[in-house]
Amino acid sequence: MLSQNYNLMQRIIGYLLLLLMVSCQKEKITIGTNVSETFYLNNAGASMRLLVQGNTLSHTFLIIVHGGPGEGSFVYNTKYITYHIENKFAVVYWDQRDAGASQGNSNGNNLNLPQMTDDLKKVIELIKYRYGENSSVFILGHSFGGLLTSSFMTTGENQTMVKGWIMVDGSPNYPLNDTLTRQMLLRVGQQQIALNDHVNNWTPIINYCNAHPGNFTLAESNQLESYGADAETYISEVNQFNLLSAMEASSLIDFLPITAVLVNYLYSSDASFNAVLDKTQFSTLLYKIVTPTLLLYGEYDFICPNELGEEVYNRISTNDKKNGNFSRKWPQFHVSG
Amino acid sequence: MNHRKFILSVMFLAFALFCFSQRDSPGRLSDSLNLKVSYNSSLIYPGARLGAEYSVKSFNVAKTKKSGKKKDFDKERFVSANLGWYHHPNFQDNMYLTGGWTMRRTHSKGFFTEVSPEIGLSRTFLGGTTYKVDNNGNVSVVKLAGYYYALLTVGGGVGYDYSKVKHKPFILFYKLNLLSMYPYNSTIYVRPAMEIGLIYKLRFIGNVKSKL
Repeated sequence: MLSQNYNLMQRIIGYLLLLLMVSCQKEKITIGTNVSETFYLNNAGASMRLLVQGNTLSHTFLIIVHGGPGEGSFVYNTKYITYHIENKFAVVYWDQRDAGASQGNSNGNNLNLPQMTDDLKKVIELIKYRYGENSSVFILGHSFGGLLTSSFMTTGENQTMVKGWIMVDGSPNYPLNDTLTRQMLLRVGQQQIALNDHVNNWTPIINYCNAHPGNFTLAESNQLESYGADAETYISEVNQFNLLSAMEASSLIDFLPITAVLVNYLYSSDASFNAVLDKTQFSTLLYKIVTPTLLLYGEYDFICPNELGEEVYNRISTNDKKNGNFSRKWPQFHVSG
Repeated sequence: MNHRKFILSVMFLAFALFCFSQRDSPGRLSDSLNLKVSYNSSLIYPGARLGAEYSVKSFNVAKTKKSGKKKDFDKERFVSANLGWYHHPNFQDNMYLTGGWTMRRTHSKGFFTEVSPEIGLSRTFLGGTTYKVDNNGNVSVVKLAGYYYALLTVGGGVGYDYSKVKHKPFILFYKLNLLSMYPYNSTIYVRPAMEIGLIYKLRFIGNVKSKL
């Protein structure tokens, strides 16, 4: 009798604990004008977080394909997006594998561009499964997300899954990107020195660029990117992006797991596949693209110079395309602009 | 590991500790056993911890400094078993079972400091519906989605032992723990956690009984 009671009690407590754990995993799909819901896509060893916010009633979804690799989507979830885009459409903040709030065990072997291209395809399939096959999906690639969306758009029949492709300071060609960054650093740096502006900052940058003319290694590529980020702080016209202020806006609302975001970023930004990415380009495949395309680049973006937008514009086959340059760097959609 | 086995193992350990602590026999286990319960918060996210600690070594240190000032404190060493949980909305629920070694130094007036490394196993439950999409585009829901991780924590805390001066059977404590979980996306996940709790000294139950 005692044993039966003990077993019953153990079972009840066990089920209560399970209920507690799984209550957050109950499927909830909301169609409305002010939606915020989180779910995960499990694929090839990673469980990737998807946060859908905004107007799902519009049946139009903008998937943010973040930069990095490993940056996470939280930096894109700003007040600007909330008030100017989420009121009209639904925005999908996708944390790629090994980024943001995505989780898993030993999955580093799957951290590569073909796998991430497959992840993006499945993200779109999942969005259509949840919100209806008639949903209009747009993908927006920023920085590394530009390379990933270029891979997606030029693979198989993937582009038929989306209504439009948006590139915001995205890179479809890393070797070309490095060359353009170096050229821009030299050009703008010499102009700034002639104007006697930040001479002490620009001099080592120019010296480095002169000493490293091309065929860049990963270390050189990283150094050019680092100088590019520094250079943007020396131009008074550039609106500085305040990451802390962006996190303040979104972190508590989205229950941002700060340490996960940090360790994922540190791991992905230093992962071995970056050496492969450094030699990756999709310029020669861009002719395949017949989908409407919008290209947005900042005049003072040293990390992804606006000539990359011209590269895409000139190579894609669609006539429904627009290339818009902005007088300032356009980081994370005018978060501080 | 099957999730049901994990939950049942955890429950079994918790019940076993509880039942042992209730044993009333010569050389009683309860003389050396304390039960712990605490609020286990990670930043703003709630949680709880239950545990038991068993004293394996205890000795008094009395020193007189050159200045003539006397120092009098107890050093205690415990092995412990703990079951922790926290709830981080939209991210994960984490249930973790640990075994640890606690080093506690209690001054004669009752204030104490302690340090405790622990190792264990963690099972997370993802904070949202989890889907799988196969290569044909078929979508299915993954039940009880989450991961097992090896877990290591290091914690340090302060507290007050009410049995020293006031002869009450409990201890209040505050402790900061750093949790690390491996392999988390092929790297190590770290997470700070804060505990505020109560330790109940079971030997006092016996004392009350003997008076009766």
